[in-house]
This record gives sequence, C-alpha cells and structure tokens, in this order.
Amino acid sequence: MKKLAIYTLAAALCGSALYAVSAVDKAAEQAKEAAAAPAEAAAKEPLVCFESRKGASEITQKEVKPGLPNVKCSPTTGAALWYGDPYEGTVPMGKMPQMANLPEGQAVVRPRTEKLNLVAMCATACHNGVVPPGFPKHKKPVPIPTMEGMLPEVKDFQHGRGAIWCLDCHHATKRDKLVDHYGDPSISFDQPQLLCGKCHGDKLRDWRDGIHGKRIGEFASTGKKRWFTCTECHNPHNVQDGERNRGFAQLQPEPAPQLPKGMKDARHEKLHPIPH
Amino acid sequence: MTPNETPQACPAQEQPAGCPVPPASADPAACAPKTSRRDFLKAGGTLSLSSLMGAGALMAQSDDAHAAAEWAEHFQKNYRLMTDKEKDEARLRLEKRYSAEYGKKVTVDTTGPQPGVLMGYALNIRKCIGCRRCVHACVEENNQSRGKRPGEKIEWIQVLRMERGEFSKERMNQGYPEGLGIQVGGNAYTPAGQVLEGQYHYNPETVPEKDANYMPIACMQCEKPPCVKVCPVRTTYREGDGVVVIDYNWCIGCRMCMGACPYWARRFNVANPVLPKEEMNPVTHYLGNRPRMRGVVEKCHWCLQRSRHGRYPACVEVCPVGARKFGNLLDPNSEVSLVLARKNVFRLKAELNTFPKFFYFYD
Repeated sequence: MKKLAIYTLAAALCGSALYAVSAVDKAAEQAKEAAAAPAEAAAKEPLVCFESRKGASEITQKEVKPGLPNVKCSPTTGAALWYGDPYEGTVPMGKMPQMANLPEGQAVVRPRTEKLNLVAMCATACHNGVVPPGFPKHKKPVPIPTMEGMLPEVKDFQHGRGAIWCLDCHHATKRDKLVDHYGDPSISFDQPQLLCGKCHGDKLRDWRDGIHGKRIGEFASTGKKRWFTCTECHNPHNVQDGERNRGFAQLQPEPAPQLPKGMKDARHEKLHPIPH
Repeated sequence: MTPNETPQACPAQEQPAGCPVPPASADPAACAPKTSRRDFLKAGGTLSLSSLMGAGALMAQSDDAHAAAEWAEHFQKNYRLMTDKEKDEARLRLEKRYSAEYGKKVTVDTTGPQPGVLMGYALNIRKCIGCRRCVHACVEENNQSRGKRPGEKIEWIQVLRMERGEFSKERMNQGYPEGLGIQVGGNAYTPAGQVLEGQYHYNPETVPEKDANYMPIACMQCEKPPCVKVCPVRTTYREGDGVVVIDYNWCIGCRMCMGACPYWARRFNVANPVLPKEEMNPVTHYLGNRPRMRGVVEKCHWCLQRSRHGRYPACVEVCPVGARKFGNLLDPNSEVSLVLARKNVFRLKAELNTFPKFFYFYD
C-alpha cells in the first residue's frame, strides 16, 4: 500500500513537472511566433541569390542589423547585387604557400565542401576506397559511361582539349579530395587554387596578389578580405563553350539604362556603327 | 534646431573656434588677415540680423525636422570652410532630417581623408563581360533616384558595348584606297583600333557576346579635374585622398561641370529624386551618398562612406569576374600598385592631361 502511494506520488510529481515544462515551452513558442510574425510578413521565403557564377555559390538574404540585409539580390537576374556583410559564413583560408606574410585570419573563404556534397555520396556508394575491377592501369583518358550519364558535361570535356581527364585532378579512390603534385589526396575542395595553380601558375601568382580574381572586404593590403577561390567563378568542367569569349559562363545582364527622353527604343545607337 | 541656435548659423555673427576672423582660403586652419569688409558687415549686419532672427524664430516654431534643416542650410558655409563644430552641427541636422524622412536611423558620416591614402582604381578591360551588375550595385549603395519617368532614373556607371574585330583576319587586307590591299591601319572609313562609340542600351539574352568588348565608364577622379576648374561656386573639389567630391548644398545646378567633364561622368537631378524608403541606404557620407535634392549634380565618389572606413566600393565587391580593382596608390603592395607595376595600363583620354586615377588594364 505504502509502495503504491509512493508510486502515485512520483507519477503525480512527474506529471506536474512535465506540465510545467510544456507550459513554459508553449509560452516561449508563443513569444517566438509573435516575434517572428512581422518578420515573416516582410519576407515569406528566404531570398537566395547566386554570387559570381550561377550554380557555384549561393547566399541567403537575412538581416544583420534591423534594416540592413547581408546581401541584396537583383530582382531581374537573381544575382547578388550588394554586400552588407562581406564575411558571412566564412572560415580562415589557412596556410597558403607564398602567402605567409598575410596576417593570420585576414584571408577568409566561404567553404564549398558542403555545397559539393554530392561527392561525399559518391564516396560511400561507389568510390569507397577500393579500386574497382577493370580500372585502367594507364593515365590516358577513357570514357566512363556511368560518369557520363551522371555528368553530361564531361562528354564534351574541353579543359586541356583532350589532354587531361578526371583523374588528373580527382583522386582515384578518395572522391572528396583533389590530388597534389605527388598524386596524394591532400587538397580539399575549399582550396582549389592549390590544384589549379599546378598548371596555371601565372594566374595563381596574380590571384595571390589580388590582380586576378575577386576579393571583398577591406581594401588595404593588410586588411581582412574574403577571397573568391577558382571554382567560385570558373567551372573547371566547362571552361569554354558557346558564344563566350572570356572564360566565364554567359549570364543574363542587368537591365539597360533609361532611354533618353522621347525615345521609344535605342536604335539611334546602331545608326552610327563604327565604319561610317 | 531650437530658436536659440538659429542666429548662430547666421554668417554675420559667427566666430569660428580658434580663428579670430573667418578664413578666406580653402584650408580651415589658415586664417585670413583682418579686413575692413568684416567691420562693414558687423555694422550693417545688425539690422538684417534682427530681421533674420525674427524670421528664424518663426520658422523654428514648427517641429518639422525638414523645415528646420532647410532653414539652417541657407546659412551654411561651403563644406571646405566649415569648422569641425559646424560640420558636426550639419551632420546632426541632416541625420535628424533623413531619419524622419526615411523612417529609419540614418547616419551621415563626415570622416575626412585618411593619412597616407591616395585612392586608385584599376579595371581589367579584357575581363569585363558587360553584365551591368556594377551599375546596379552602385544604385543600391548610393541612393540615386530610381523613378520611372524621364530624368528620374540616374546611374553613375555607364557600360559601353563596342564592336570588336577592327583588326580581324578577314579585314587585314582592307584599307584605303579600297581594293589595293594596303593595310593603312585605319582611315576615315575604318578607324584604327577602338573609338569610344558604341551602345549603352544593349540588352541581349546573355553576355558576353562574341563580337563585343565592354567598357565601363564612370568618374575617373582626375588629378587635374576639368569639372573643378569650371565650377563657379567651387562646390566640387578634390579631397586629400584624391577623390573629387561635391558639396551638394552649394551646388547651384549650372551644369558647367557636366559640360567640362570629358568622361560623361556627371548626372543632374532634373526632377525630384525618387528614393523609396525601404530601398534607401542608411549609411551615408556628407560628401557621398546622402540623399540629393532636385537641381544638383552628382557623380561617382568611390563610395566614400565605405572607402573612408577601409571597405571596397560597392562596384568592386559585386563584379562577378573580378575585373575591378581598388586600392591605395601609396601602398606598393596594394592591388592597384601591383597592377600598375605589372600590367599593360592605359588611361581613358590621356591626351587631355586630366591625369585620371582610374586605370584600364589588360593581361
């Protein structure tokens, strides 16, 4: 009898405690909802815009301070148009060869490994560290039907004009790494400059000095900057095609300026072509 | 602005701190020699002063920040002649007015040139793909008018699309006289190289186009700016860090500078600027992107509100191809100094001896 009483008491206590906890939770939730309501009314779904190249990196709009968004997106093209916070989501770039004079933490990058997470799935499904049977022994490019099915762009692989192929950059068994000078999988997807610089040394030098490529943040040579890595602007699998003439994928331009007063179109600009 | 403060803004009664007489030169530290003109003003000013005070008291009765600021602005000096205290007053006045007008906390910065900084700009003409993102980033940052009607849409950067292929292989044998196969390198019919003629209103599906080059043009921040030479009220001038700025309050809208500028860099507010509250950038600089009024000229100032605090200008940060470079010309390790040291550089219309600090380069 006594035992039963103790049990009931314990159960009652637990129940009341649970009830109290849930009540507190409810109150907190209500408060949260009340706070979130105006914010939700302002922006129903988070606005995501692409940064340099479509498909390479995206940034989600949010408020860093009241009235100050971290990024503004173009309503026409969906491109990032204005940075309120240039360092959002960045991590230190880490040690880079010949960049030792940069103060620690002043060079930051936005990690892309997560974005390229498809590769991690590849690593568990097929490329799981075991060299598959029938794997070519030589280093010459051979068509791989499975890969061509998954990535149609490799069928017309322009990079190196047929002289290089997948395994010149990707490791044979570790798919989330890139190969270094010795063929070891030591380069992460966040540091493609170490891989690209193996061939494009002149571009790497200019990139280190800020002449090539893009950096945002503080302009002083010792200031904190977010560096854009190679693959944020260039698609290594698709370096030249179509009508482009500058090594970048073509994209939609922002709207043209206002026409002069009283003009219906901009034909007047074409009436005087360069050969008069 | 309270009624007690109003008379202080009157130039006849005012005494700059630490300076017995008002300065006559552009340098606020330099004091002008005592002149009889001041005595004359002192004597004659009493009458006008009393009437002004009365009017000021009447005006300041209203609590309207806009009216109070406007009243005080009538008696404001040229920005270069203002003392630090006066600049502070002007700043607070404007902050109050803009905050009321745009419904958010607006800051007006008056930070001066930083020591050891001479700003410079470089643009890789080979990289530019003509996407116009810089144009619209500039509008987002600098509070330009963005209405729909004629004259209400102002953009500071122009991107010029130019035809390519003057020296193409097919045309190597063309020239004047026609058909003789003499390549004379351009003539009245086919000019050599590029001329600054092309399209501003191009709008293809995608850029870059195969046969086009793109050339963004904005204010070049010349070392010898023709616009500064012609300004009759000296409201536009070169700042210590090399940027040519405009004190909008002293602009009389005569548009002499627009005629003088060889780079088509200046814009005129023909209509009342249209600037929606939610799109207004609340971080402003007095000489930079604070909201302008009708009848004043404006132009690129390399985002003073950012660059005076070390940030890249908005157009540099947004360029998707990294064609735009900005840095300190006095720092040998800055991007722009390295571009000048290493790349092929030219200045637009260098023959005019305006000495722009905006350099075009190519790999």
